[in-house]
Amino acid sequence: MSTTSTAAEGDLEGRIRDYLAGKLGAGSSLALRDVQRIAVGWSHETWLFDATWTDGAGTHTEGYCLRRDPGNALLRELSDLGVQYKVLLGLAGTDVPAPRAYFFEDDPAILGAPFLVMEKVPGVCPSPWGRQGRQFYAEAAARGVLPLSFTDALIALHTCDWRSAGLDFLGVPGAGNDFCRREVATWKSLIEQAEFDVDPILTDTIGWLEANAPATDARPWALVHGAYRTGNVLVHNDRVSAILDWETPVIGDPLYDVAYVLSELNREGTELLSNLVDRDTFISRYEAGTGIEIDLSVCDYYHVLYAMRSAAFWMSASGLFSTGRNPDLRLARTAWSVPVVLNQAARRLGY
Amino acid sequence: MLSEDELLGRMAQILRRDIGPSVEDGFAKTQAFMAGVILEKLSGQLRHAAVHDRDDRADAARLGTELGGALGPDDGEALRAAVATVARAVEDPDVAVGPALNELVRQLYAERDRLGGERFTALLQRTRRTLRARLDRQLEYSA
Repeated sequence: MSTTSTAAEGDLEGRIRDYLAGKLGAGSSLALRDVQRIAVGWSHETWLFDATWTDGAGTHTEGYCLRRDPGNALLRELSDLGVQYKVLLGLAGTDVPAPRAYFFEDDPAILGAPFLVMEKVPGVCPSPWGRQGRQFYAEAAARGVLPLSFTDALIALHTCDWRSAGLDFLGVPGAGNDFCRREVATWKSLIEQAEFDVDPILTDTIGWLEANAPATDARPWALVHGAYRTGNVLVHNDRVSAILDWETPVIGDPLYDVAYVLSELNREGTELLSNLVDRDTFISRYEAGTGIEIDLSVCDYYHVLYAMRSAAFWMSASGLFSTGRNPDLRLARTAWSVPVVLNQAARRLGY
Repeated sequence: MLSEDELLGRMAQILRRDIGPSVEDGFAKTQAFMAGVILEKLSGQLRHAAVHDRDDRADAARLGTELGGALGPDDGEALRAAVATVARAVEDPDVAVGPALNELVRQLYAERDRLGGERFTALLQRTRRTLRARLDRQLEYSA
């Protein structure tokens, strides 16, 4: 996992220490070690560190992950750390592998922006887009354990009782095609906020999605992650130790996640889903584990939706740069990714 | 003297080959490489810009002419106006092809019910041929 120097965050580190000391009742004994700012990812800023403190019960060491909302990150319009905190709290009593959430603060006076503190779960999260990441997942695929764990984590997610977990605050879709129409509307709004000329192929794609939204209420609604793939799960000892990046969770059709796993968007140069899982193995294990039959025609609809989402994502990213809200050149480069995902949408629409 | 696209291409090469590898800080190194990638894309876009613009306009004008012939006074005014704008893409340099095509697609969907399924599909399919060709040109430097 790539990290950046934390020298520039020295003051922030002191403020994190003071905050945690207060929350943990640790006073001046609390020290932070191995503070790392994670450089991958374009959404919320993320720090990992260990905290050690002494109290009447002895000396304690705990690992923490802190995510801060810089206010200019990707998907800022759709993602809220307060929502992530509530989702993680809800998942604590379920079989879904996810970090435990500890604290959420909305007050920017504390660390300069809202932030979330959660458990530092052991594991690594190689990016599937790089050479090393692809090699990591190829080797894991050959050993055979991680592909099953990756599938099982999705099964745990889609079979968890989200109502009992208190996650219905995310909004429960209505009957018929309401779930699909909601998702299209959500991502369409992101496109409208991007302040870009909209490509006619994207307009065609949105028009097609709105006109062809399938009814998806025959299956029970599930907690849907919204971006379930390698790179968004933490891996420890060949198993998924935590599902990460809870930026776009919704209550809805579980096949929405399944389609993302099946998608060509998430594999490069391999037939393995998400660079990891054999398609037939995934489908049979998922269906057996959830009792949900995978309707590939619905997944085809979601593939078009994901192409539209990708275009919205890249437009939003390059918009952050072009409007001066975020100086990261990686964002500027994404303007040239839009035609690439529009090509996928066009092919799906038959042209 | 180097052309603009050659200059950008040369700068991209230097950023990726010489400057990027010598930067120690991880974030700055990534930014240097990314600057190289962006200049490379820009170089390609600039190199193709004149030919692509000419072809985009010619394709759009053909589309506008064909669709104009398929529409009548009973069809929506906004749709007919969008088609007329696209048809002027060659003669009028002020017509921005992308937004004009986008408005055409938007109006096609808005008029879908009035056009009826068969006509809508035929007009959209013809429009998609133009969009496909335009996208293929963009992919020459984007992909």
